[in-house]
Amino acid sequence: MIDVVTGFAAAIRFEGVTKAFGSHVVLRNLDLLVPRGAITFLIGRSGTGKSVTLKHIMGLMRPDSGRIFVGDDEITAMRERELRATRNRFGMVFQHAALFDSMDVFDNVAFPLREHSRDSEAKVRSRVLDLLASVGLKGAERRAVSELSGGMRKRVGLARALVREPEFLLYDEPTTGLDPVLAAAMDQLILETQRRKPALTSLIISHDMSAVFRIADKVAMLRDGAVVVEGTPQQIRESSDPLVVQFVSGSLLGPIDASQG
Amino acid sequence: MEVGRVATLAALALANLPVRPFRVRETIRLIGFIGVDSLPIVLLSGLFTGAVFTVESYEAFRLFGAQGLVGGTVGVALTRELAPTLTGLLVAGRAGSALAAELGSMRVTEQIDALHAMAVDPVNYLVKPRVIAATLSVPLLTALFDAVGIAGSYAVAHWELHLSDPEFWIRLRAWVDWADIEAGLIKGTAFGFVIGVVACSRGYHTEGGARGVGLATTQAVVISSVTLLVLNYFIALALAEST
Repeated sequence: MIDVVTGFAAAIRFEGVTKAFGSHVVLRNLDLLVPRGAITFLIGRSGTGKSVTLKHIMGLMRPDSGRIFVGDDEITAMRERELRATRNRFGMVFQHAALFDSMDVFDNVAFPLREHSRDSEAKVRSRVLDLLASVGLKGAERRAVSELSGGMRKRVGLARALVREPEFLLYDEPTTGLDPVLAAAMDQLILETQRRKPALTSLIISHDMSAVFRIADKVAMLRDGAVVVEGTPQQIRESSDPLVVQFVSGSLLGPIDASQG
Repeated sequence: MEVGRVATLAALALANLPVRPFRVRETIRLIGFIGVDSLPIVLLSGLFTGAVFTVESYEAFRLFGAQGLVGGTVGVALTRELAPTLTGLLVAGRAGSALAAELGSMRVTEQIDALHAMAVDPVNYLVKPRVIAATLSVPLLTALFDAVGIAGSYAVAHWELHLSDPEFWIRLRAWVDWADIEAGLIKGTAFGFVIGVVACSRGYHTEGGARGVGLATTQAVVISSVTLLVLNYFIALALAEST
């Protein structure tokens, strides 16, 4: 299947996915197509189901109905053991980095390799040091996680997500909590990562519109658990849809009620 | 619901025993934390428990001139009941709380989600080594509690109450046999398992930020302590019936 926005093949596909927690419906018949080899942004207000969407892709949550495909594999039909194998194809950058605070920077980045590969310690070491250098953290390998600033944590999180050379890279609000300069640096890092590995599929959850206009290939906007608008950043910028206009401009006036959610 | 969660996690941890990786190094580290680091409080408690039990029972036995029964009474009470129960309660308070807090904060800071995302089973990585370490540590600490408790009892009997050595040791040797020590060790093993599983379950299922971690920590200690005391009765009953 081809993504109409970018013209690339689909890497991740949601077909009519619905998920509710009790009476609260979070995903409502969601159809979504994430193209391979591109950076896709999933935007929307807090509580519109962005994080839940991400958790479904990783198989950490299962939908009440609908199907999810990763490549040609239907992950909604998989058992836990197969899901674990599929997760090996993913890297995930968590909103607050989710680094192991019992380990230093080096051991955090080395962790997935030590768990899953039989590589020698020398090989692990050179891989980890290379990656830390590529995210601008040369010489920080023996620092404790608790000593790191928010921006550094996110970069360590990115290095950890990249260490096993994933096919899919998922970012949960990578620039939230960073100052504008650090946020721009993080965007640049995401872009460089993508350019270094053109086959990589990146999906970014965010409400940082400046990041969208800087690095996105495709944007999909969620509202009430469904995609309401999708297109290129250019199309989003030029959209006359009042919903998009209000979201992009951050205005209080428009169809989005700021007091709801 | 709590019982179901604990039982499910216990079953998952047991099912994970033969699953690679075995986490030997991590388990040894945790035996250090749960067992070795608990030594000071367990030894101190053992010493004074033996001592105070000797003083109290001596007063009672003296009323009818049976001071010679002190050593045997203290020995049986310590090995069968006091050592495993008090050791269990001490470990629940010191290590159970710390395990729950550690896993709880890992849950609320998404570190457990990160394990899932990296295709690492948190039960294998976090729960299994903690449950094994607790299950091995508590009976070993119980044995040491026995030894130190009897030493404390002897010290008081000898220097404070001026009992002769034969008076103290003859009954103790005659009354305390392997079955008593074994009963204590069986209890200690069961208590260790309970502490490990309850602490991991409360930590693992923590919800709602710092407050949730605090709640999980308290609940881990309270639930494992009460469970341990109830279980103590049933193990005692089962052991009594089997002899």
